[in-house]
Amino acid sequence: MNKTEDLYYIEAVRKGNVQAFSWLVEKYQKMVYTLALKLLKRPEDAEEMAQDTFIKAYQKLDTYEGKSKFSTWLYSITYNACISELRKRRIEFKSLDDRQISDQDEMKMHDYYRETKKEDQEKYLNMALEKLPEDDQVLVTLYYYENQSMDEISMITGLTVSNIKVKIHRARKKMYGLLHEMLHEEIYSLL
Amino acid sequence: MKKLDKQFEQMMKGIRIDSPSPDFALKVMSRIQAEAAVQKRPILADYQPVISKRTWIILIAAFVLLLIYITVSAKETGTVSGPGFWSTISDSLNQIKINEVSSFWQKGMGVFSSIPPIAFLILTASLALWMLDSFLVRFRHRTSEIHIS
Repeated sequence: MNKTEDLYYIEAVRKGNVQAFSWLVEKYQKMVYTLALKLLKRPEDAEEMAQDTFIKAYQKLDTYEGKSKFSTWLYSITYNACISELRKRRIEFKSLDDRQISDQDEMKMHDYYRETKKEDQEKYLNMALEKLPEDDQVLVTLYYYENQSMDEISMITGLTVSNIKVKIHRARKKMYGLLHEMLHEEIYSLL
Repeated sequence: MKKLDKQFEQMMKGIRIDSPSPDFALKVMSRIQAEAAVQKRPILADYQPVISKRTWIILIAAFVLLLIYITVSAKETGTVSGPGFWSTISDSLNQIKINEVSSFWQKGMGVFSSIPPIAFLILTASLALWMLDSFLVRFRHRTSEIHIS
């Protein structure tokens, strides 16, 4: 459904209707900006990068063959542009802390989490996500929030599917570990 | 494992997705409009061939069938010449006295002699269209100096 709609507007842009591109901008601006922000950290840099991504996508629209989803193609432009920007700045990704929890603890954590107030859930989840290394934040967001498949994430990031699987698994465990710490602190503070 | 993944997915749907500034789309579109204004667009980008592939197949099939029909009917009646386009050409060749060539020509082209001139006119016109079409399609992606507003 989404792919067909996207293709309709892409075709319109290709035929010279420049304004049709605004539909694509409106639809994907939040995710493109979010990915850029997760990698670059500074909102002003992320906004500029997101703008540049859309300009680049517009310029290269003729090269989009429709083999993958438009979103996958667009996110790969975003990801690669952010990575080269980080390389220019010589910023290395943070390494992942090895503190992880077992599968049983993950199940328990999920129950604790569900009992937490809705607004706190969002706050803690965002805090936990922000503590992950930048590239893992992108992988987790693309996979769990944006429902991109492992193959699509592989196209976006250039990482192998097996590497992505391992990274996502570790990131999820790490996030549960961080949530565990935060929710325990919350319980102690209430007591 | 899948259950854990599903649980985590449910949780992740609750995260806050970041938003750019409210005038983000406007800024992007004004940059794109400026980009489009100077971008060279292929003059024949929207050109579509006059005769579609399907029509070409029908035309060729019809012509081949016509040839077969004429060949078969010519053999049955034993006629090799008659009033037609090719017979006119044959007569002209005879008049310029190239006897050796013209006898070969008559034998070879006898089959075509029964084809009415209108069929040849249609064939010639189709071929001309085909040549023009292939020329325009080949140059479809060549840019022009036309600017998009």
